[in-house]
Amino acid sequence: MKTTRLLVALALLVTALPTYGQAKKKQVLNLFCWSEYVPQSVIDGFTKETGIKVNVENYASNEEMLSKLLAGGSNYDLVQPSEYTVEALIKVDKLEPLNFEAIPNIKNIDPKYMKLPFDPEGKYSVPWMVGTVGIVVNTAKVKTPITGYKDVFDGTHKRRIVVLNDAREIVTWALATVGVSANDLTPENLEKAKPILANWLPQVKVYDSDSPKTALLNGDVDLGIVWSGEAAILWKKNKKFTYVLPAEGAHQFIDSLAIPKGAPNKENAEKFINYILKPEVSVLVSEDFPYTNPNAEAVKLLKPEQRANPASYPTGEPKLETFKDIGKAAKDIDVLVTDLKAAKKKK
Amino acid sequence: MQAAIGVPETSGSRRPGLLGWLLMTPMLLWLAAFVIAPTLILLVYSFCQRDDLGQVVYAFTWENYERIFFDPDTGKFGSTYLTVFLRSILYAGLTTVICLVVGYPVAWFIGRAPEGRRNLLLTLVMIPFWTSFLIRTYAWITILSTNGLLNSFLVDYTRLIAEPFEMLYTPGAVVLGLVYSYLPFLILPVYGSVEKLDNSLVEAAFDLGAGPVRAFQKVILPLTQPGIVAGILLVFIPSLGMFAITQLMGGGTEPTIGEVIQNQFLQARDWPFGAALGMTIVLLFAVVFWCTSRRQNALEN
Repeated sequence: MKTTRLLVALALLVTALPTYGQAKKKQVLNLFCWSEYVPQSVIDGFTKETGIKVNVENYASNEEMLSKLLAGGSNYDLVQPSEYTVEALIKVDKLEPLNFEAIPNIKNIDPKYMKLPFDPEGKYSVPWMVGTVGIVVNTAKVKTPITGYKDVFDGTHKRRIVVLNDAREIVTWALATVGVSANDLTPENLEKAKPILANWLPQVKVYDSDSPKTALLNGDVDLGIVWSGEAAILWKKNKKFTYVLPAEGAHQFIDSLAIPKGAPNKENAEKFINYILKPEVSVLVSEDFPYTNPNAEAVKLLKPEQRANPASYPTGEPKLETFKDIGKAAKDIDVLVTDLKAAKKKK
Repeated sequence: MQAAIGVPETSGSRRPGLLGWLLMTPMLLWLAAFVIAPTLILLVYSFCQRDDLGQVVYAFTWENYERIFFDPDTGKFGSTYLTVFLRSILYAGLTTVICLVVGYPVAWFIGRAPEGRRNLLLTLVMIPFWTSFLIRTYAWITILSTNGLLNSFLVDYTRLIAEPFEMLYTPGAVVLGLVYSYLPFLILPVYGSVEKLDNSLVEAAFDLGAGPVRAFQKVILPLTQPGIVAGILLVFIPSLGMFAITQLMGGGTEPTIGEVIQNQFLQARDWPFGAALGMTIVLLFAVVFWCTSRRQNALEN
């Protein structure tokens, strides 16, 4: 008897739960973004202005976001993919076209960052931050000039190098030294990259994508091939850390905002996009994450010191290339790099 | 788990009644939802393929397991991944041995301490758990790096060495990080056995003429064996799969199996292969567990 009564009570409780949830329903935005990329002050400011509560969930790589989004069952309203992931998502029809009437602040974006090949009509994505992958040199330790990947791996800096722990990045650098595009990852080209990487990888001391600046700051390494935002923070801390865009060519990435197909709160997502495009909001992002801000009006508001940062706003005419989606080749690249890392020990 | 390692078999003596089942329900549901179901999903995925975007395609293949065990060029047994497995086992084994050598005397000391002091000592062992292990690992990075605390102490204050010593991002740092993190997992179960040990048995051994070595070997070791076995499993298994410490303190230059699996899910978009690697570890654990519990039973009989 007692058990029956308990079961009845349990059943009542379970049916009551959803009603409780609905009663409290108010305007929300489910934001799925990179960890350490959207300042809390921006989120708080948005909630204060619009009354919309923001639920934040983080990811650490485009691939992680992609798989969660494609697995379905999620109800994200706004995601933050990089350019090649935008392209992949458009290909499988997983993005909503944006209603630009609700996003008038799009006019603040520098036109050179709009309608790029990954979203040729500029229908689906709005650039968040732009960055490059380049070489950081601790000039207090390295006295020889460093102009490209070849100088980093010339053998004189053995075990004094930190690089991103990202197979595609690493392979791209090797291919750049033989003049192959970052998006031309055929098996023959990977074969070309193999001997180069077999020479390079044993010289690396640390692989770190999350915070490569740590090893440089702690003096464990003297050179790094890292995200420009990390390099900008290093330069801010100490001017001995200079940033060089490799002469062979560098990867430029465009992290964007996009709305997944079927997002439950599309209007709120558009309100958020419009909000972060305000120059005075955008500078808050630049403050914490000193990548290249594609918002031309926001750049005008930056302090001279911020605009002088060579990692955030590189000068000259660097050779830059954006990534395209490479589909199955992601596996071949991972096999290549894992093999070479493991092989190091065998010798 | 506890029943299988050490504690005498009690099944058959009493079957659980309705209340017993009811009390066990949360645990059984938990196991079903978070252990059995995920393992089954992993098993299914490990025989699947994937499409360009990394979505799992439900089409049967052996390919993932072939990739683990056989060289793609020669078709012979042996591959990169087996090398990685072997290295991870080596790290985990070394960690376990060091934990045992360091942890056993500590557990013995705590277990033999006056009752009032035991709780204090146990609290000291557990205090590190109050801080997230990631934060503690970052603390080690601060201590061991080239400009870190230890090096600046040795170079600038004591002048024992002229040049900073390379400690971080070496295999030694990895093992240090693992030992540091998992040592309490060995101390606690061994302490449990030591505390239960009847001192009169040890005294009897001495009275019957056994020296310290013999008394330890013939009386103390067998009686604390359940704690040792539990401790070994609790240290070996998690350190085999660990990826955060090995990556942070080893610099990722010599990937461990945990790092390779993580890559399959987060970078290579190859869930089926990651699942196959995961299943291989599960299988390995099953073998280790089976061996230790068999040995345990043999000893008890």
